[in-house]
Amino acid sequence: MADVDVVVVGAGPAGSTAATVLARAGHSVILLERGPFPGSKNMYGGVVYPRILDQLHPEWWEDAPIQRWVTRRSTMVLTDDQALTVDFRSEKWGRPPYNGATAFRPDWDSWLASKAQAAGATLVCSTTATGLLRERGRVVGVTTDRPEGDLRADVVIACDGVNSFLAKDAGLYGEVDAANYTVGVKETLGLPKEVIDERFAVRGREGVDIEILGGTGGVNGGAFLYTNFDTLAVGCVLKLPALAAQELRPEAIIAGLKRHPAIAPLVEGGDVAEYSAHVIPEAGLAMMPKMTGDGILVAGDAAAMCLAAGIWLEGVNFAMASGIYAGEAAAEALAAGDPSAAGLAGYERRLEDTFVLRDHRKLRRAPGLVLSDRVQHLYPEMIANTVERMFRVDNPAPKPGLRAIFNSERKRAGIKLADLARDARDGLRSFG
Amino acid sequence: MRITVCWKWVAVDGADPDDRWAGVSPADEAALETALTLAGNGGEVTVVTVGATGSDAGLRRATAVGATHVIRVDGEGLGARDVARAIAPIARGSDYVLCGDYSLDRGTGAVPAYLAAELGAAQALGLVGVDRTRVPLRVVRRLDGGRREILDVPTPAVLSVEGAVARLRRAGLAETLSASTATIEVVAGPRPAEHDVVVTPYRPRARMLPPPSGGTLARVRDILDIGAAPAHGDAVTLDPPEAAQRIIDQLREWRYLPRDTA
Ligand SMILES: Cc1cc2nc3c(=O)[nH]c(=O)nc-3n(C[C@H](O)[C@H](O)[C@H](O)COP(=O)(O)OP(=O)(O)OC[C@H]3O[C@@H](n4cnc5c(N)ncnc54)[C@H](O)[C@@H]3O)c2cc1C
Repeated sequence: MADVDVVVVGAGPAGSTAATVLARAGHSVILLERGPFPGSKNMYGGVVYPRILDQLHPEWWEDAPIQRWVTRRSTMVLTDDQALTVDFRSEKWGRPPYNGATAFRPDWDSWLASKAQAAGATLVCSTTATGLLRERGRVVGVTTDRPEGDLRADVVIACDGVNSFLAKDAGLYGEVDAANYTVGVKETLGLPKEVIDERFAVRGREGVDIEILGGTGGVNGGAFLYTNFDTLAVGCVLKLPALAAQELRPEAIIAGLKRHPAIAPLVEGGDVAEYSAHVIPEAGLAMMPKMTGDGILVAGDAAAMCLAAGIWLEGVNFAMASGIYAGEAAAEALAAGDPSAAGLAGYERRLEDTFVLRDHRKLRRAPGLVLSDRVQHLYPEMIANTVERMFRVDNPAPKPGLRAIFNSERKRAGIKLADLARDARDGLRSFG
Repeated sequence: MRITVCWKWVAVDGADPDDRWAGVSPADEAALETALTLAGNGGEVTVVTVGATGSDAGLRRATAVGATHVIRVDGEGLGARDVARAIAPIARGSDYVLCGDYSLDRGTGAVPAYLAAELGAAQALGLVGVDRTRVPLRVVRRLDGGRREILDVPTPAVLSVEGAVARLRRAGLAETLSASTATIEVVAGPRPAEHDVVVTPYRPRARMLPPPSGGTLARVRDILDIGAAPAHGDAVTLDPPEAAQRIIDQLREWRYLPRDTA
């Protein structure tokens, strides 16, 4: 006999949405969280794109605990002494139905979990799932770190984040390769709200999302700078093998980024309020596990659904969406009385039909491309030098043509035309 | 045996109280564990909290680990004496009343003493050990200057324990689940008295320091830790085995380890 219909492990964005959907469908759900409250141990860069919540929590923006609405998105290319920024701002993103927002995980995750509780799910904190219960090859529940802690359920949904112990235990993952992971490190810097408003040219609850190529001390990766209400989030995402090879400490790389002439004036005087680090499943589609087993579904980072492809660093929306779909599929299977992999097949169908796997498919080459040595070490310089020469006034020499500058800079950087063409094609296929 | 345990639920985040970070002190937890062990199987342990609705979370936890009854006295911002007066009717008739030696917000620690006065009970406060095998109960009290006092306490008695006395057991999963929906008994609390002890924020105790010596410059250097090599410790870079040996040698020198072991 099962104790409950469904156990959801992990009250992150994936777990709480899955629990909400199932509880609303009238099923008994236990949502296990190892931290003292949802989000207490979680970190991320800082921007969420909650459009997917429109269906689950209409007008979510009325009570969502956000810091600022992102109304400016910038992409920056940095070399040691140059910066090229493409900056976009939209007033539309500062009013309903909004687009993206900065938010703190302890707030965001607690809020999402409270919705699951309101729907009737039982949240149990300070409790870690330690393994799977199996019967005749089928998953029938989890073990926990509490005395008499076994919990039997018809369906287990593993939303336990990156490096999912449960998905591995269920045999859904293949070989684990460190090259598929990046490590994200972040400092939260305290600054008065007015100072942030002035430096980033925003007002009220408007905020800025800056994604940065370069500025990571020669380690393949990317960097980011986000505005919260009265703090800034500055950090980088670093490829693990590259980080190990360079023998640089992540905090030294953030310090270097903060000293960059284009970044320093933005972050100056900020008091470090927090330092945190977390692993990111970076390789997208290439590292995803099997999503479904008999009696088990895997969602969110646990299924490597984080989209980390250069100008995009989105995981929370993928986690929330896959949580919703896992919840729907589990409800379907329970209604049909068949929690086997076949009965749960509605999950993968939903993933395939929506942005969750479509974006990943479209962008499957993006992580490799963005983190490649050429994009990381040769292109920033080539692009920045080209722009520099374009805008430099070399009188009495006449203005050179853009193509001539570009070609000479390409040659100077030692980039073969064939490689450039290949990267351009990959880039176009991914981002085009 | 009947035991009453007093828990203070504190939203830790100082200026900006936030229930998510709230809890009780390790000393309060040790008090409950001591009570559960003392009461054994047949005994009765009642946990009482004077607080607002937020503190129900703590009482649920107490239920989950095995408290027989939990009661919340509704009240906020009461002084130590009022808290003791509010708890006394519930605690009366207990063999022992157990409190933590300090709460998370570092109040005055006066509640147990007031409570003993209200109940006309014996008191032994600031305990670092409780020997439940002896009748009457034998306890060890911390005195100033590192000394200890061993007491045999009669019943009824109010005891306050330090956090190191015991570690609260972990609640079972089934108990945690059933406690999460249990109804908490709430009784009305007193109104705050008009003139009571004012509790100021926790301040660490003052320490005695030797008077300054040397010239002004030396003292400035001293304070800022510049110039001369720091007196406490030096930075060395060593391979792990050498580093380990170095730490062991140093610990020996400071007599944390016996000198003669090879
Ligand atoms: C540095 C960095 C920056 C990022 N920036 C962004 C960004 O700006 N925008 C964005 O959208 N995404 C970002 N991401 C990605 C995003 O954080 C994740 O994709 C997202 O949090 C995944 O949600 P999840 O619910 O799947 O997992 P998680 O958020 O990891 O939640 C898992 C939960 O499960 C709990 N748990 C784990 N194991 C157990 C267990 N055994 N038992 C019980 N509970 C358990 C954990 O405590 C946690 O609460 C970033 C990630 C990093 C590391």
